[in-house]
Amino acid sequence: MMPTETSSLSRGEMLKRLRAEHGESVERTQQLLREQKRVQQEVCKSIREKAKTVPEIAEELGMKPADVLWYLASFRKYGLVVEEGMCGDYPLYRKAEEK
Amino acid sequence: MTKIHVDALVVGGGIAGMQTALDLGDQGYQVALVEKEPSVGGKMITLSKVFPTLDCCSCITTPKMSAVAHHPKIQLFTYCEVDRVDGQDGEFTVSVVQKPRYVNADICTGCRLCEYECPITVPSMFDRGLGSYHAVRVPFSTAVPQIAVLDIEYCLLCGKCEKVCPVGAVDFTQTPETFEIDTTSIVLATGFEMTDVSAKKEYGAGRLSNVIDPLMMERFLAPTGPYGRVLRPGDGMEPTTIAYVQCAGSRDETLGIEYCSRTCCMYAIKQSMLISGALPLAEVTIFYMDIRTFGKGYEQFYQNAKAMGVEFVRGKVASIQEDENHYPIVRVELTEEGRVVERTFDLVVLSLGMVLGDPLARFGLQPAEDGFASLPSVNASPWATTRPGVFVAGTAGGPMDIVDSIVTASAAASAASAYIRSKTQVSIEEGEVAYV
Repeated sequence: MMPTETSSLSRGEMLKRLRAEHGESVERTQQLLREQKRVQQEVCKSIREKAKTVPEIAEELGMKPADVLWYLASFRKYGLVVEEGMCGDYPLYRKAEEK
Repeated sequence: MTKIHVDALVVGGGIAGMQTALDLGDQGYQVALVEKEPSVGGKMITLSKVFPTLDCCSCITTPKMSAVAHHPKIQLFTYCEVDRVDGQDGEFTVSVVQKPRYVNADICTGCRLCEYECPITVPSMFDRGLGSYHAVRVPFSTAVPQIAVLDIEYCLLCGKCEKVCPVGAVDFTQTPETFEIDTTSIVLATGFEMTDVSAKKEYGAGRLSNVIDPLMMERFLAPTGPYGRVLRPGDGMEPTTIAYVQCAGSRDETLGIEYCSRTCCMYAIKQSMLISGALPLAEVTIFYMDIRTFGKGYEQFYQNAKAMGVEFVRGKVASIQEDENHYPIVRVELTEEGRVVERTFDLVVLSLGMVLGDPLARFGLQPAEDGFASLPSVNASPWATTRPGVFVAGTAGGPMDIVDSIVTASAAASAASAYIRSKTQVSIEEGEVAYV
């Protein structure tokens, strides 16, 4: 592995420079984070008591089913959500127990 | 500027590049392996199983990934891009850019605490955008090296990863660094990309949520896939009827891709067999013009799929649309019956073809008519490019499957070995290289 060059600037100066260089992407990511937090809260609230399918959650929250599935896949990967049986051809998702 | 001297530079850390590097390293040559992604493994590490044996892809790929990382003769450079190749005739100087990981590779332990702490979730390119990971992450569970990488385009610069890292590896002061590799020979194993799904408007141009590409299906079939099972991405339904549209990106003059991609028939057959295992009630239909099963054991594999109940329908798919519930409707001309029918499926897989991955110009090479590396003596020496000392392995030279990629990789290593010896008068004794 080639050691990556480090700038002669201090960490603080470098962060300042990165913020200036990537201001647009930081702002866009902040908006994305707000949206992700909102969706996480709403989805987790929706499936806290009762396991639901993707179309059920999508209809309840007014979201596209494909977007709901993407979030559920992410929550499942990081342990926030578990699968709990099937309803017809659709898996059911429930919020995982708090650790 | 840092300078490294090697006998062979291998560009690309997929299955072909790793095989070439291992073959040359085992012969005692000093090898540099440059990979643009943060991990080696290439496309193959994302696949589920290989045809015709249905062996697990990870089980074949991960030992080679580990071997290139630990081989005493191979220097591995991940997250690096070749910028320029100067020189000729056995004396090349290659300019390489190490992209900043914003993580100190020398001390990161791959513990993933930074990943778990990172608040932002982004589409995982490892899962073709259908899964997710965080802005700072170890690329995937079997990545080599197990070192985190931070995607600055999705970074909030909040510093949470920095605070949680137990060894202080997060480093925002990193910048791109250029270094040079002096080498006698170069082997290009830069791989392929799938044909552009948006180019075929008749098939939905990539906008139909339940029409997917074959690498997405590979991820669904892999145990580490985004959903942990096969679901259609439009609404999370477990599909019961699945169609494959063959030649969806190859043998098509309208796309400017007139060649056969050589892998699509076999991966469609393989996936249909794996789907039958994962979803026993599923009905799989393959719409094809010709089935091309030319490799060892391939025809028997095809016959096995037919015996398992996979439906093969000879016909050319004219268009794919979707109904109000996003079920794909396939309009197909049944060429043997001379009529056109429409059939509705839960999920459709487009059997896309292969095109060249990385442009060749920075290596001083011109593409052939098909876009892949020009091979002036393709029958006699299919590893030799138009530039002496520069060889090609795997799909950089043309569409091929994993078996052929490994064969051409070993062939390119052999040709590079002969070339290095002709240029440097290397004598090899007991596996060591000495310059005389």
